[in-house]
Amino acid sequence: MSILKAEKIKKSFGNFEVLKGIDLSVEKGETIAVIGPSGSGKSTFLRCLNKLETINDGSIEFDGEIIAENGKYKKDKELRPIISKMGMVFQQFNLFPHKSVIENVIEAPVIVNKISKEEAKKTALQLLKDVGLSEKANEYPCNLSGGQQQRVAIARALAMNPKLMLFDEPTSALDPELTGEVLNVMKKLADEKMTMIVVTHEIAFAKEVATRVVFIDGGVIVEQGNPKDVLENPKNERTIKFLERVLR
Amino acid sequence: MFLTVTQALLKGFGTNFYIFILTLLMAIPLGFVITLGSMCKFKPVSAVTKIFVWVIRGTPLMLQLIIVMFGPSLIFEYKGMTRMTATLIAFVINYAAYFSEIFRGGIESIPKGQYEAGYVLGLTKVQVFFKIVLMQVIKRIVPPMGNEIITLVKDTSLARIISVIEITQTAQNYIASKALIWPLFYSGVFYLVFCGILTVLFGYIEKKFDYYRG
Repeated sequence: MSILKAEKIKKSFGNFEVLKGIDLSVEKGETIAVIGPSGSGKSTFLRCLNKLETINDGSIEFDGEIIAENGKYKKDKELRPIISKMGMVFQQFNLFPHKSVIENVIEAPVIVNKISKEEAKKTALQLLKDVGLSEKANEYPCNLSGGQQQRVAIARALAMNPKLMLFDEPTSALDPELTGEVLNVMKKLADEKMTMIVVTHEIAFAKEVATRVVFIDGGVIVEQGNPKDVLENPKNERTIKFLERVLR
Repeated sequence: MFLTVTQALLKGFGTNFYIFILTLLMAIPLGFVITLGSMCKFKPVSAVTKIFVWVIRGTPLMLQLIIVMFGPSLIFEYKGMTRMTATLIAFVINYAAYFSEIFRGGIESIPKGQYEAGYVLGLTKVQVFFKIVLMQVIKRIVPPMGNEIITLVKDTSLARIISVIEITQTAQNYIASKALIWPLFYSGVFYLVFCGILTVLFGYIEKKFDYYRG
């Protein structure tokens, strides 16, 4: 059963058409790695799914609910509960700097889902344990490394019990030696059959963890399929060129 | 003599303090309203607000005091304006304009990612503002607000231009009536002490926000 269905997504910034009709259907439990050159529209596509950017045309369906139809999104009020089931992890982490790690994680469950603080804290501590940061629960984000901050951001997104996790270049802002700890957490999530869409430059991660690789270039999906096929035996000229460049 | 001067100056400074505290209490909420206006996505509202702020910040407070004091009676033949009311109206509008720019700067300095993070977690715009953005804005505006508030303490003396008897006027009167200069210096001590207290207070508030960076 597909949990997310994006059809004919088109998006322009001014006169520049970033997305030229993207179709993507995601099954439950899939881990999709979206790769492609910078400026290809892969991040924009991800951000259109939860209306961080608005599409100009196309439809989006998530978990049986319509998010957008023929280029028109649902009203924000109706959209909010649907979107809160789509966790998102940003390149720049975007933790709330004035809140401790645990406060970051319980914020949305308490405010949006109206869960009691005690209960939210219990869940949060378990999530922090899962990402290996239970001893940092009372620290503030500024005292954490980038890798730790990103793991908190993942825990924060998971606290809303998402049915789909969107990762927007989650390791691009990290020092190389810190990417591993974040990718390991994501790999664990994939192993637990969390449905994930990961926009990434980590080809090795895509190869090892993804169940499907989607290559976007020039606002269209150029090639997709299982990681071995796409990454080791790409058929399209553009995919071959891109992989040559990044794997050199 | 020293005791009478002290009492007189204290009484004068009471007026300054009265102007100060009422201006502060009213200019902060009004400043916030002006901020909302200048950040409004509906262009006519933001344009009008920005012109208003430009006029208020671009003309002397002293001129504004005179206009508020005498304008209503000369233009509309309204005679009910008391000196203190005129003073407070001019001060509140003037300081609200300055505060509004500090608030706007603070709000606009918060990275877009903070709003996006709140949004994707399912928070409403109002929740994002009050639960996530506001405290970060406050941390950032404490230093410029401290500056502005300390300026306000000394600006209160401008009320004398429309004959509100405040400390500087009181002290100056001793030159004419008793040929004494020291009450003027002495009046400066009142300002110094009060601004000293505010400096310590703002230092304390800044420290309170030191628990995080960013």
